[in-house]
Amino acid sequence: MATTNEPSSGSWDATQWHEVKKGETLWKIAEHYYGDGSLHTKIFEANRDTLKDPNLIRVGQRLRIP
Amino acid sequence: MPKSGWFWKGISNGLVLVAAAVTLVSCESADKAPATAAITAAQGAIDAVKGEAAKYVPDQLSALEGTLASAKASFEKQDYKAALASAQDVAAKAKDLGSAAAAKKAELAKSWEGLSGGLPQMAEAIKSRVDILSQSKKLPAGLDKDKLESAKAGLASLNQSWTEASAAFQSGNMTDAIAKAQAAKAKAVECMTALNMPVPEAAK
Repeated sequence: MATTNEPSSGSWDATQWHEVKKGETLWKIAEHYYGDGSLHTKIFEANRDTLKDPNLIRVGQRLRIP
Repeated sequence: MPKSGWFWKGISNGLVLVAAAVTLVSCESADKAPATAAITAAQGAIDAVKGEAAKYVPDQLSALEGTLASAKASFEKQDYKAALASAQDVAAKAKDLGSAAAAKKAELAKSWEGLSGGLPQMAEAIKSRVDILSQSKKLPAGLDKDKLESAKAGLASLNQSWTEASAAFQSGNMTDAIAKAQAAKAKAVECMTALNMPVPEAAK
């Protein structure tokens, strides 16, 4: 699982980002970060600006992990 | 040598001694006025920067006040040359002290700007993660219940330090504000590391 906290060096941005890999689902991503796939709705809600459907994520997409 | 010769030689020696004494006294008197003026000027120079220096470079201020006290002590002992030299040194260094205080103030203000912008973001991110993990039926790899509880306590501690830092800043105590904000930052880094969250570059 790829995780980053992006911006440039010297930044205070505390946002954690996840880049979607092939075969990943929000459920799996939630399992990785929270240990519980049912919490995938937290990731979905934090990315409502780019996600319309929790079942539709694409490879390379960057998701905010709250 | 005839008796009269001894007489005149004695007179002559006496006059030399008197002249030397007069010269010494007049030299001392000549140094006294400049020493007095230099001490007054040095005191004024310190007073002019004392407010900021006491806040931002207290050790340097203390050292300079020590030198001025030494100049005054020399003056009391009528060692006007030493008093003059010390007091002139103080006056020159007081200007440097003012610059050092201004530089330290600017440095602290810059630190505060970064910390006050970044720490709330870190605290918010930690709170969000702690809230979500508290709802999890099974914690992720690398995290157990004890670590999560420790992170919760760390978050409370960081919030407390941040509240105190903000209060110190509001009251104008920049040095204390930065110290408390640094403590909050250290706690935030500790929490984020424990929760397997990436630490912001600026906080490293």
